[in-house]
Amino acid sequence: MRSRRTSSTGPSRVCPASKADPGEAGAACRAVPGVVARNISKSFDGVPALVDVDLELLRGEVHALLGENGAGKTTLSNILAGIYRADGGRLEVDGVERQFHSPAQAIASGIGMVHQHFKLVAPMTVAENIHLGWEATPRRIKRRALVERTAGLIDQFGLRVDPEAKVWQLSVGEQQRVEILRVLARGATTLILDEPTAVLTTAEAGDLFNVMRSLTAAGRTVVFISHKLNEVLEIGDRITVLRNGHHVVTCDAAGVTARQLARMMTGEERELSVEHRDTSANLPVLELRGVTARSARGLIALHDVDLVVRRGEILGVAGVSGNGQSELAEVLTGLRPVDGGEVVVSGQRLTHAGSRRFADAGVGNIPEDRIGTGLVRSAPVLDNAILRHYRSPELSGRVALKRRATVEFARRLVEKARVRTPSLHSMTSILSGGNQQRLIVHREALVATSAFVAMHPSRGLDVHAAQDVQAALLDAREKGCAILLVSDDLDEVLLMSDRIAVMYEGRVVGVFDRRDADREQLGLLMGGHDAPLTGEGTERR
Amino acid sequence: MTTADTPPLQASAGRSWRLARRSGVTSRQTAMARIAGVLGALIIAGVILALSGRNAPSLLGKALDGTFGERQGLEEMGLLLTPILMNALAVHIPLRMKLWNIGSEGQFFMGAWAAAGVGIYWGGPRYVVLVVMALAGMAGGAMWILVPALARARWQVNEIITTLLLNFIAIQWVAWFSFDLWRDRAAAVVQSTPVVQARLPFFPGSSTLYVGIFVPLVIAAATFVVFRSTRWGYEVDVIGGNPRAAAFAGIRVTRRIVAVMLISGAIAGLSGMLHLAGPAQRLNSSISNNYGLSGFIVAALAGSSVVGIVVGAVFIASMLHAGITLQSDGLSVYVVAAVYGLVLVGIAIGEVAARFRVVRSGDLDAAGAR
Amino acid sequence: MTLVTDILQTALPASTSVALAASGEMLNERAGTLNLGLEGVVSLGAVSAFIVGTNTTNPFLALAVGTIVGAVAGAAFATAAVLVRANQVLTGLALAVGGVGLANQLGNGRQGALLISRFEPVEIPLLSDIPVVGQALFDQDPVVYFAFGVLPVALWFVLFHTRHGLNLRAVGENPAAADAVGVNVSGMRFAYATIGAALAGAGGAHLVLGYTQNWSIGVVSGAGWVSLAVVIFAAWRPFLVVLGALLFGAMTSLGFVAQARDWNVPSYVLAMLPYIVTLVLILIPAGLAGFGRRLRGSAAPGSLAIPYFREDR
Repeated sequence: MRSRRTSSTGPSRVCPASKADPGEAGAACRAVPGVVARNISKSFDGVPALVDVDLELLRGEVHALLGENGAGKTTLSNILAGIYRADGGRLEVDGVERQFHSPAQAIASGIGMVHQHFKLVAPMTVAENIHLGWEATPRRIKRRALVERTAGLIDQFGLRVDPEAKVWQLSVGEQQRVEILRVLARGATTLILDEPTAVLTTAEAGDLFNVMRSLTAAGRTVVFISHKLNEVLEIGDRITVLRNGHHVVTCDAAGVTARQLARMMTGEERELSVEHRDTSANLPVLELRGVTARSARGLIALHDVDLVVRRGEILGVAGVSGNGQSELAEVLTGLRPVDGGEVVVSGQRLTHAGSRRFADAGVGNIPEDRIGTGLVRSAPVLDNAILRHYRSPELSGRVALKRRATVEFARRLVEKARVRTPSLHSMTSILSGGNQQRLIVHREALVATSAFVAMHPSRGLDVHAAQDVQAALLDAREKGCAILLVSDDLDEVLLMSDRIAVMYEGRVVGVFDRRDADREQLGLLMGGHDAPLTGEGTERR
Repeated sequence: MTTADTPPLQASAGRSWRLARRSGVTSRQTAMARIAGVLGALIIAGVILALSGRNAPSLLGKALDGTFGERQGLEEMGLLLTPILMNALAVHIPLRMKLWNIGSEGQFFMGAWAAAGVGIYWGGPRYVVLVVMALAGMAGGAMWILVPALARARWQVNEIITTLLLNFIAIQWVAWFSFDLWRDRAAAVVQSTPVVQARLPFFPGSSTLYVGIFVPLVIAAATFVVFRSTRWGYEVDVIGGNPRAAAFAGIRVTRRIVAVMLISGAIAGLSGMLHLAGPAQRLNSSISNNYGLSGFIVAALAGSSVVGIVVGAVFIASMLHAGITLQSDGLSVYVVAAVYGLVLVGIAIGEVAARFRVVRSGDLDAAGAR
Repeated sequence: MTLVTDILQTALPASTSVALAASGEMLNERAGTLNLGLEGVVSLGAVSAFIVGTNTTNPFLALAVGTIVGAVAGAAFATAAVLVRANQVLTGLALAVGGVGLANQLGNGRQGALLISRFEPVEIPLLSDIPVVGQALFDQDPVVYFAFGVLPVALWFVLFHTRHGLNLRAVGENPAAADAVGVNVSGMRFAYATIGAALAGAGGAHLVLGYTQNWSIGVVSGAGWVSLAVVIFAAWRPFLVVLGALLFGAMTSLGFVAQARDWNVPSYVLAMLPYIVTLVLILIPAGLAGFGRRLRGSAAPGSLAIPYFREDR
C-alpha cells in the first residue's frame, strides 16, 4: 500500500523558533534535519510491524507520531532509540549513517527515549536513578555529591523533583520528570516521549508541554507519541500518522483538523458526542450515605461522602487523581472496608460486604489497573472469562465446575467482545493488549446487571479501544444500569456524563447536571476553590 | 502481547544468523526439547565415562535392562517411585500458588516419626494400626509445616527459609528419638528404633513392592481432577497466577495459603509413614534418601502439569534405580549423582532452546512460515 | 566470662565457610541470580583444597585452588543460567546434586590422607589482650580475619559507595532499567555468579583447611544450604550476612561447649539449636511488626531468579 506523502518542507510554519518564540525568525529559521529514517522495516516472528516507513525529524520541532495501538509508533521509536534493530532501511543522525546495537549507542548519538512504562529502579532515590550507568558519575559516590549534581540538573532543565526522594514515593508525573532528566543529562538532543500524557492529569500535562516548548526553543527535537488528537494538535509542529505499520501522511499541525486526523488514523469516520439523559426522576441504585474510609496507607480518604447514582444514568466523577476517587470506586465494589456510613445497592445494605456480594448484586467493575487487577495473564482465556461468574449455578455445582457450560460461556463472551484468540485454552498473555482490554470490559459488562463502576476506563487506550469501552458503558446505560465513571480526563467526563460530581480531598464538593456544567467552574472545584454554584448547586446528593 | 510484538533476541555477535523467539511454544515442543536435553546430557556423560575407560553403551544397556527389563527391577523402581512421587506432589500443590515448600524432607521425617510412635508401641489389629499410623503421619507432616504456613499467611514471612530450616531440625529430632529415646537396645548392629509392629501389605504378587505405591497414584489422579474441574482448584490457580485478580474476584487468599500448605505437609508426612511401614520398618535418620530433594526437582521440572509430575517422578526414580543397578558394575553412586546433575542441566537448557529457533537475518520470508 | 570466649573462639572458624559462601551468594543475588547449587560449589571447593592440601605445605595454594574450582563451577552455572537463560532453580539444583556427587567421587578413597597444609591462628598483638573477646576475636587464622573483617567492609563499600555498586544493585532490582541506561546486565550477572561461587569455593576450602582439618564424605553437611538461608535472613546486607553466619556458628559451638562442660543436654537438642534460634529470630520481628508488613520479602532484589530478556514486554 503506497502512502500519500505531504511535502514536509515549506514556509515559516515549519520554522522551529516560530512556535515557541514568535520573535525569532530569519537566521535560525532554516529547517535543519536532525534524525532521518528511510524505508524502515521490521517484523516480529514473521509478522510485519513496520513496512517501508520514513520519518524525518527537524531540529527544534515537536514532531508528533500519531497512530492506534499496533500502528508501529513504539516499534519505530524503539528502533531510533537502539532497543530494536531494523530489518531494513537506513538511519542517519546529523547526516551520518548509524546503526544502533544498544540503547547506549543511541544515547551516544543523542537520541534518548522516555518509555510509557518507566524504567526506573523503584527503591532507589531520584539522584541514584539519574546517575545509573552513567560514565560521568564519579567512581566513588557520596550521597551529598549525587544530590548536588542532581539539583544542578534540575535547575538547568527546570524539571522540579526532590533528588532525595525514593522513586516509589513519587507521583507518576514526578517519575516522568526523573526519566526526562535522566535522558537529558546524558546529552540527548532528540527526545522521544512515548504516550507521556497517558498517566498525567490535565495540569501535569500542561507542565509537560511547557517543558517540551523550552526544550525545542533550545534547538532540541522532541518526538511526541500519542493517540490523543487534541494534544497532538496543541503541541505538535508537524504530525506523522502511522497505520498498520505504514506511513500514511506527514503534515503541518496548522493545516489539519482532529476529524481529519482521526480518519487518517483509523481509516473511518468517528462519532464525537454522546446524547444526554435527564435522570433526576429515576430510582437510585448505588448510594453512599455518610461514608468514611481509609486509603491503603491508613489515611482518611473519604470524609462523610454522600452520593447517589440513578438508574440509566452516567455519573461522572471529576477530580485530580488522589482525591479519594480510587477509594470511592473500591468502596462501591467491595474492595475496600468502610469505617463509617452505609453503602446501599438497589436497596440492599452492602456496607461490609466483600467483592463477591457486590458482583452478585450486579455491580460490574472496570478497575484502575485493568490488566494488573482484572486478569490472570498466565492463565488460559477460558479461566479469565469465567473469573467473575464461576460461582453461579449455571457454571458450577458446590464443588465441581461444569466444564461444558464454562466453555460455552467463554465462547459467547469471546465472540461478543470480538477477542481474537487462537483458542479458549491459549494463554491470555499472548493476546494483544487491546484484546485483553476488550475481554475485561465485556466480562464486567456481563456482571453489571444493575450498576457499573468504571475507573479511568480509557486511560492508556487508543482511539478504537477507548471507543469500545465507551460503547460498552453506553450500552449498559441503555439497559438501565447506574454507571459511575471516574476519570481525571475532563474531556471524557464532559463527553460521557449525564451528571457530574467533583471530588476534592475526599469530599464531594459539587454535583451538576452536565448541561449546567462549566469547564472553568469544574476546574476551580477540582483545585479546591469554591465556585458559585449553579443548577443543582446546593444539593448534596 | 500481540503475535506481532514478540521480538527476536538480539545476538551480539554474528550478523547472518539470529535467534528468533517463537511466539507460542506448545507443550509438545517443550517435551521434545527436554528429551533432547536429556539425551544430550547422557551422551556427554557417556563420552566422559568412555574416556575414563568404561564402556558407556553397555552400561546404558545394563541400566535400562536392570530397571525395565525385568519385573524385579520395575518393582525396585516402584519402591523409589513411591516416596519421590509423593514428595513431588507435596511440593507441586503449593507451587501452583507460587508457594515454595522446601521442607517436604522434614515433613517426611516427622510423618515417619509420628507413625513410628504409633506403630512401634501399639500391637493392635494390623489394618487399624496402619490407618492410625497414616493419620499420625499426615498429622505429623501438617504440624511441621504449620508455623511456616501461618507465618507466611499472616506476616508474609518467606516460606523458603522457614521450611528449609525446619528440615534440619526434623533430622535431629528423629536422630534423637531413634538413637536415644526409642533406641532398640536389643539390636547390636543396627542403630535405630525397633521394628514397627504393623507392616504394609505387599503389592499383589510381589515380595518387594508394597501397596503404598497406590497412594501417590491416587493422590496424583485426585490432584489432576481437583485442578481441572473443581472451584477450589480453579481458585488456587487464580491466586497463583495473579493474587490481585484473586482478590478482585473475591477469593480469600490468606485462608487458602494455610489450607494448601497444610495439605502439602500432610502428603509429605504420609509419605514418611508409607516408607516406614513399607520398606524401612525401622526409624532412623537415614530413612530418607533425599526424597525431598528429588521430589522438589520433579516439581520444578514438571511445572503446572500433573501428568508431568508423574512422568518426571518415574524418570527420576528410574535414573536413581539405574544408578543403584550400575553400582554392582563398579560405578560409584557419586558418579551417578554427577550424571543426575548433568541431566538436569540438559533439561533446563533444552527448555530454553524450545523457545527459540535459528533464523537467518534478512531471510525472514522463509523463516516467517511456521 | 570465659563461656562467651569459648563459644566465640570456636564459632568464628566454624562459621567462616558459611560467611564466605553467604557473602558470595549475597553478591550474586544482588545482581538478580539465585544459585541453589551452593552446596555443590562448597563441596567442590572443599575436596579440591583437600587434595592439594595433602600434596603441598602451602595452605594459601590450596585455598587458591579451592577458590578457582568454585569460580569454574560458578562460570558453568552462569553460562546456563545467565547466558542461555535456563531455569535458575533447575540449574542450581543440578549443581547442588551434581557438584556434591562429583566432589564425593573425587575424594572417595582419599579420606585417610594426611592434610599437610593447614591454616593456623595468627595472633594480633595488643588487640588480643582485650578482656573477654580479645582471645576469641584476634587469635584466628588469616582467612577468618578476611571473612569477618575485610570482606564485609569491602562489600559494603563497593555496594553502597561506588558507581559500580550502584549499577550492580540496579541490575538486581530492575534489569530493564539498568539496560536502558547502558549497564551490561548479562555481563554483571555472569561476573557475580562467578565471583559468588569463587567465594563459596573458598569457604569450602577453609572448612577443610582451617576448621575440620580433614575431609570425609559429607564434611560439608549443609553449609551451602545454610548459606542460602543466611542470605535471606540478612536481607542481603553485607554486615548482617556475616553476623548471621556467626550467630549460626555460635549456636553450633554452644553445642560443643555444652558437651565439653557436661551440661547434660542431649546432643541432638544442641544440634537443633542453631536452626531454632535462626527461625525464632526471623519470626519475632515479623510478628512484632504487625500484620501486613512485608518483612524480608520486600528486601529481596526485585528481579531475583527471573532471567532477563531485553525485548520482553
